[in-house]
Amino acid sequence: MSVAAPPTHAAARAVAATKIYGSGDTAVRALDAIDVTFEQGQFTAIMGPSGSGKSTLMHCMAGLDRVTEGQVLIGEVDLSTLSERDLTLLRRDNVGFVFQAFNLVPTLTAIENIMLPMDLAGSAGDTDWVDEVVSATGLADRLKHRPSELSGGQQQRVAVARALAGQPQVIFADEPTGNVDLNTGAEILGFMRNAVDEMGQTIVMVTHDAVAASYADRVVFLVDGKIVDERTDPTPERIRAHMNQLGA
Amino acid sequence: MLKLALRNLLDKKIRFALTTLSVVTGVTFVVGTFALTDSLRSTFGDLAQDIAGETDLTVRAAQEIGNEADRPTMPDSLLDEVAAIDGVVEASGTVQARNVVIVDGDGEAIRPQGPPALGMNFSSRVFFLIEGRAPVDQEFVVDATTAANNDLQVGETYDINGPVRSQPFELVGIFNFGSPDTNTSLGQTMSVFDTRTAQQFLGFGDRLAEIRVLVNADVAEVRAAIGAAVGADYEVITQEIAAEEQTEQFQNVLNIFTSILLVFAFIAVFVSAFIINNTFQIVVTQRVREIGLWRAIGVTPKQVSRSIVVESAIVGLLSTAIGIAVGMLVSLVMRAAIRASGFGLPSGPLVLRPRTVVLAVVIGLGVTMIASIVPAMRARRITPIAALSQDHRIERSGWRRRVAVGGAVTAAGVVCLALGMAGVGSTAAVLALTGIGALVTFVGLNVASPAIARPVVRALGRPVQALFGMPGRLARENAARNPRRTASTAGALMIGVTLMATTSVVGASVSSTIADVLSDAVRADYFVRSEASPFDPATGFPAQLLNDLENRDEIESVVGYRVAFGGMVVGGDSRDVVTADFDTVERHMDGDVISGSITGGDPLTGIALHVDPADDLGVAVGDTLEATFPDNQTDTLTVTAIFADAAIYGNWLIDNALWEQHFGRRDYRFGTAVAQVEDSQVAVAEVTARYPGVIGENRDEFREANQSLVNSIFAVITVLLGLSFVIALIGIANTLALSVFERTREIGLLRAVGMTRRQLRRAVRWEAAIVATFGGLMGVVVGTVLGVAGSLATPDSFITTVDVPYATLAVYIVVAGLAGLLAAVLPARRAGRMNILEAIAHE
Ligand SMILES: Nc1ncnc2c1ncn2[C@@H]1O[C@H](COP(=O)(O)OP(=O)(O)OP(=O)(O)O)[C@@H](O)[C@H]1O
Ligand SMILES: [Mg+2]
Repeated sequence: MSVAAPPTHAAARAVAATKIYGSGDTAVRALDAIDVTFEQGQFTAIMGPSGSGKSTLMHCMAGLDRVTEGQVLIGEVDLSTLSERDLTLLRRDNVGFVFQAFNLVPTLTAIENIMLPMDLAGSAGDTDWVDEVVSATGLADRLKHRPSELSGGQQQRVAVARALAGQPQVIFADEPTGNVDLNTGAEILGFMRNAVDEMGQTIVMVTHDAVAASYADRVVFLVDGKIVDERTDPTPERIRAHMNQLGA
Repeated sequence: MLKLALRNLLDKKIRFALTTLSVVTGVTFVVGTFALTDSLRSTFGDLAQDIAGETDLTVRAAQEIGNEADRPTMPDSLLDEVAAIDGVVEASGTVQARNVVIVDGDGEAIRPQGPPALGMNFSSRVFFLIEGRAPVDQEFVVDATTAANNDLQVGETYDINGPVRSQPFELVGIFNFGSPDTNTSLGQTMSVFDTRTAQQFLGFGDRLAEIRVLVNADVAEVRAAIGAAVGADYEVITQEIAAEEQTEQFQNVLNIFTSILLVFAFIAVFVSAFIINNTFQIVVTQRVREIGLWRAIGVTPKQVSRSIVVESAIVGLLSTAIGIAVGMLVSLVMRAAIRASGFGLPSGPLVLRPRTVVLAVVIGLGVTMIASIVPAMRARRITPIAALSQDHRIERSGWRRRVAVGGAVTAAGVVCLALGMAGVGSTAAVLALTGIGALVTFVGLNVASPAIARPVVRALGRPVQALFGMPGRLARENAARNPRRTASTAGALMIGVTLMATTSVVGASVSSTIADVLSDAVRADYFVRSEASPFDPATGFPAQLLNDLENRDEIESVVGYRVAFGGMVVGGDSRDVVTADFDTVERHMDGDVISGSITGGDPLTGIALHVDPADDLGVAVGDTLEATFPDNQTDTLTVTAIFADAAIYGNWLIDNALWEQHFGRRDYRFGTAVAQVEDSQVAVAEVTARYPGVIGENRDEFREANQSLVNSIFAVITVLLGLSFVIALIGIANTLALSVFERTREIGLLRAVGMTRRQLRRAVRWEAAIVATFGGLMGVVVGTVLGVAGSLATPDSFITTVDVPYATLAVYIVVAGLAGLLAAVLPARRAGRMNILEAIAHE
């Protein structure tokens, strides 16, 4: 589990990233000098007990929040050097994000939501790529619908499609299947797996579910803001066993 | 429930503040207006008491007809008769005339804006000299405010334009009017002479306007004695009556001002009601989830609605209290502003009458409570399930029903308006019908407008989207998102724009009518008038001027005109009467005479009238009419002509000779001249140059002057109405702030996926611009309809040509849109500053 030597094909990495909320007596060290690298074309799952800092890590890496100490890099860009505006543009152009729920703008149709980052940039995007992503969602006939007319699983697939559409360097997803039933979860996970395998995308996903994590190439375990372990080639059983061992 | 309501208010401080703000605005305007006018009223009442207090009894000619300015005079021999009566200590005669204009050191005529320019005779009881001495022959004294504002110096000689002629007088003193310490001339200019000079210069000859009497016996007895001595042609009034009349007179000076303020306050309240209602609707909508949660934990529907009502009561009471305080402050500031504008105003306490407080509570609390009824009823229907639902919307009521109900209400309002404009019933009824009609129309439109809000707003948003891409698209979608909210936000703005558009259409129509009348019906080449406001019935110029003009070789003939509103009673009704010179006027004007002839009519026994009253009274040329004048004399007049164009002579035309038999005033309100030769302009200029403050114009100049006057009057009204814009803007800002708050999570999401702050602010601002443009558009459409209807209904003497000023109306729509942009600045900034992660975590 060496992350010391920066591989040239890293999509995103954190170097001694520390996040402290509050100050003095009430300070919480949500991330504690984390070093982690997410390589291109890899599907990583992040697991850990509640409050271990998973969401904090996602937010800091996606440029939604800033680390207190250390560095976060997307490609070779150090986020701490970016202004608020450049950070926004980086999120728009180089990072995809999928939240647990409420991912879509209710006034826009599905396709408009997918195109949102590109429309904000005023670019048409790569049409072939967008077509590929859209057909992979299996929602080609519902593109003109508004989010309120889509099921939760469909909404999440649109959200993943939006994250993919701009061909970002990395996609972060915080419990993307947390709000949907098993079958729908499987649909979404299959879609993400497919994006990595067929489209060469890089995805980092937080999950509590061992089955969901088993879709990933690699599972990173977080406890109290530190990375305590990681597994490649995970199966649900092994992950479950490991989680129990971590004993949260 | 009180606890729950209070908790709720404190939890949502910003929402609470915004709701309060909308109520405070309305209450402030009402309290400010009433406190100011009540204060002025009481100040004037005190002042009138002071002035009248110097006299026990006043003797004057009895008058039943016409204006105070046309009250008959009395011979000064009456003075000795009155002075000789037992119990009379002192009797002094007064004369007073309006339109006595001083020409200052720079040759400029001193014209007060609004209040009259008075000429009077001196009395040490009301004129308190602070410099110099009392005037004797060919001298005058002036009030301190006029002296200071125009740099008039004691010892200098100034020309004064009287009713008959212009004459130089030496200024020998300066006085405070009404009180020794402060000048309370209320913006009037007062040129004061000794009695004999005043009589001659002001056209009284050897007559007097009034006799003021001091007594040292029982006032009632002396009053009766004087009454018996002077006979039935005269009346003797007491100090109380004099004070009352004086107060009324002062109030008339301010009446236009007061009515404008009240109309404005009314509009302010109306607009505020829209905003309050809107705010409550939004607040309840935003709380659906929360209320669902209460219901889930066992709060009954009744308790829910009661908590909303209690909450609105708290908001209403608090805002009323704040509004009263702010309103008092506003009235203080306004009073200071009036005083600073050189209006001689006595000081006094600020008056807050119980009536004002009651009204404030009725408006502040009442409007808030009423505005909360519908939301409270809606809140009752919220089920516990709503707590779990993502969608915060409450079901919409049917569009079709909305259009039907709204259309019916609007139609009822328009019928009321039409009746009002057509002038059915008394003046009070007309005003009530018009006011209620306007109100009902607006309410109806507000019910119906959500039905059209979505398509119209989407159409308006199209160019915004084309221009700004995704931020424009979001602005458009958000503006169309909640049609009811959009409609009532726009509705607040619509009211002001409607009134402005109506005013503009009527103004443009008046202006076009002037041009048409001038080209069709006016033959004269030159026009003479005072540069003072033509709406002051007392304006005029010395009669001598027209003689001077007629004596020039370049001029063929002149005609002088006078006007007395209600100056004559015929057939039991008082009539507005216009004078001219029968023998020449038809060379100057074409009143569209349809039978008989004005020329050749007997100046002392002839009368010409419009076809409408002629039909009403059933008279034809050659018939006779009984006409009673302000001097209580009744003459039998013969109809010499009947005319069809009311724009020139009004309805009733008599000769100047007849006027001079019955009216005291000798100045002319207006004059026309027909040229003898082509190059006569210089002659006119030379003559009028000798009378500063009097203007001679050729046809083009006259038309332009009239049109620009009409335009500027309507512009002032428009600006005043535009102030309701400001309230509507607060409403837009308010609604937008609440909408932004409601969309916190969505905004967080947009920012997370890469919307820059600038793009976000732009989206919010343009959303407001679209909504505001919608309001402006509705206002212009409704206002144009009302303006055209109003112009058609207006008597032909004012409007014959209906004109729609498209450019101005277009400007209103654009200004409304820009105002929306402006109103959105703060909410947009707030949206831009949101912390992304907190916003996303927001419930
Ligand atoms: N805005 C904040 N202010 C203060 N403390 C915070 C804040 N956000 C998170 N924390 C704290 O930081 C720690 C990590 O929180 P985080 O949300 O990253 O956990 P998580 O692993 O995502 O948990 P879960 O599985 O429940 O989502 C927790 O102790 C949490 O209380
Ligand atoms: Mg989390």
